Amino acid sequence: MPDRVTLRVPDPEAAARALWADNEATSRERLIQRAIAAGATLVAGGVVIAGLPRLAASAQSPEQDVEIFNFALLLEYTQAAFYAETVERAELTGELFEFAKVVANHERAHVDYLLEALGSDARDEPVTDFGNATGDPDAFGPAAATLEDVAVAAYNGQAANLTKGALQAAATIISVDARHAAWIRSIIGEPPAADAVDAPLTAEEATSRLAETGFLPEEQL
Amino acid sequence: MTLHDFDDLRLDHLDRDGALRQAADNLERTSRAGFLAVAAGSVAAAAALARPQAASAQLATSDVAILNYALTLEYLQDAFYTEAERKGALSGPAAQLARVVGAVERAHVKALRNVLGKKAVKRPFFDFRGVTEDPPQFTRTAVAFEDLGTAAYKGQAHRIKSPEVLAAAVGIHSVEARHAAWIRYIAGTPPAAEPFDEGKAMPETLRLVRATGFVVGRPRTGARGAPRFTG
Amino acid sequence: MTSRRARRFLLAAAAAATGASLASLAASGGHDPAGESPSRAPGPAVALAPPAEPAFSVPAPETLQPSRFESTWASVRSAAVVRAAPRRGAAVVGHLDRRTPEGTTNIVLTRHRAKDSQGSLWVRVSVPALPASVTGWVPRAALGGYGVVRTQLVVDLGDLQLTLYRAGKAIFRAPVGIGTAQFPTPKGDFYVRNKLARYRNAFYGPLAFGTSARSATLTDWPAGGFVGIHGTNRPDLLPGRVSHGCIRLRNEDIVRLARLLPIGTPLRIRA
Repeated sequence: MPDRVTLRVPDPEAAARALWADNEATSRERLIQRAIAAGATLVAGGVVIAGLPRLAASAQSPEQDVEIFNFALLLEYTQAAFYAETVERAELTGELFEFAKVVANHERAHVDYLLEALGSDARDEPVTDFGNATGDPDAFGPAAATLEDVAVAAYNGQAANLTKGALQAAATIISVDARHAAWIRSIIGEPPAADAVDAPLTAEEATSRLAETGFLPEEQL
Repeated sequence: MTLHDFDDLRLDHLDRDGALRQAADNLERTSRAGFLAVAAGSVAAAAALARPQAASAQLATSDVAILNYALTLEYLQDAFYTEAERKGALSGPAAQLARVVGAVERAHVKALRNVLGKKAVKRPFFDFRGVTEDPPQFTRTAVAFEDLGTAAYKGQAHRIKSPEVLAAAVGIHSVEARHAAWIRYIAGTPPAAEPFDEGKAMPETLRLVRATGFVVGRPRTGARGAPRFTG
Repeated sequence: MTSRRARRFLLAAAAAATGASLASLAASGGHDPAGESPSRAPGPAVALAPPAEPAFSVPAPETLQPSRFESTWASVRSAAVVRAAPRRGAAVVGHLDRRTPEGTTNIVLTRHRAKDSQGSLWVRVSVPALPASVTGWVPRAALGGYGVVRTQLVVDLGDLQLTLYRAGKAIFRAPVGIGTAQFPTPKGDFYVRNKLARYRNAFYGPLAFGTSARSATLTDWPAGGFVGIHGTNRPDLLPGRVSHGCIRLRNEDIVRLARLLPIGTPLRIRA
């Protein structure tokens, strides 16, 4: 278990102002316009992936740790719920089911750790809807792989933004999610580790990938 | 598998030109004030670092040490899988893993040598003592190597000064974890035994590597002294 | 102040925008000229800083190209008996020494692998002998680490020429002096096993390579009568049949060769 990381409570309004150097409420449209003005590329789906101004807040801070850990918590909550539901439905058998049972425990441990680190700053548990992915043996594997991959890529994207203590803690979780991803791929007969590098995702990209799964209602993202 | 704790071999065996010892020493006693600071958050620095050839001139000494440490472990894995593939003693999933993971580790070596440039440590010479030619020994050793590689990257992540170097390192760290799970699956051992993976510090990692006895001095095939060939 | 309030703050901002689906935003090429925004709330993700740009990229993994130009050598860890078959008690066909007569670590060219009935690994190796190199089996434990080369050295006795190939392509050529009819340079397949330098002996030039080839005639020669590839203080004799078996190059040629020739390179001496 990683050392307990104590994260301070952020002031979200001040944080938002600092982020956008803007005293007005920032709508998504304004975000996109600012990004385009800064030379960003807008890809299909409205996700801005390049050219966002390098934020002053990329210097690490406990406040930012809270934001990042809360995003991680969203991902871990989703994974934990996914595996817990799989175990509860008990429709999978054999290796898939053994995998789900072990990983359910791991993801629950990840959630518990983040909850403890965040304390009263922790976000709410999201409402999830996994459809047949937690019961159908053909749907389960790809869904699990996607959730693990998105978590790894999102963590990798935020690694440099975390304070060193938070990074040390997060790193002990990232590699376990990566193990899960290779494990489930091995079970379902897909190449377990095809790439030389796990590319980072921005938070927006990770959110977009999560949205594509349909497992979370949009207002949660 | 446990890597045996042999009597401590000297670091010299691992580090013929002294670069690795220097790197380890630097890492242990570095302080923030003394280094070239990469201007984190500046667009210019970010753009410059996107061209890897220019990077090594801008890297902090301690980051160079960490990257050389990573390179040493990648050299070890590269040599291990490449030799295993060449020897052709493996079959089935293990052979497939050696092919795929070997190609990835070779790519890691290229990337690290490229970013380090002249500061890259030299490629060591390895004697795998038949382990690459014996499927059960290969599998056990690969499990140890991948777990160790993952733990080694993890142990250094929080010590990396440059955000850009860290961003690159974490992208490799999670790939090593995938390898670890994959080879464990092949070996029939739990791919992810614990919910949290612990990191390993550099001295401990190097001790384990030395203890394998795989890193040996390059055989001395050169000598002084007049030849006594037939002429 | 909690993250809950942060989420409400951002959600409120999004709700102020008019609704438009993500799909229509994409279809319109990204920027919605009517000033509408998608209904999807930005959520906490929008507040996170972007990733740092990785300091280096990793090239695409490449499969190993098996090459018919590759040879593998191994250093010798301990002296061993070379046997006709990969098992204890098989006939002895030769001996493997730990060191060469020059005091360097001995190396051998390796070929196949086999396991005996006890599961021990044996390796087929090529060792210098007379009248010709001998191939036989030694325990893997007698050998050290492997080295791989892509080079081949060829000496044409008829043309009096030495050529170095790398991956099948000629990268070096030079005229040579070879053995006289009385002390001929042996024909066959050998390998380069050591390099001597920093000695003062003009007869051998600035540096010399030792090979596993042995003179068939100078069997009483000190240090085994091995054939070397070396420089000379008589470049005027090259090309020619002038030596006691060694392969002589002009000094500038042997220096050039030394930059290109790795130890362990197979050597073919042909008519």
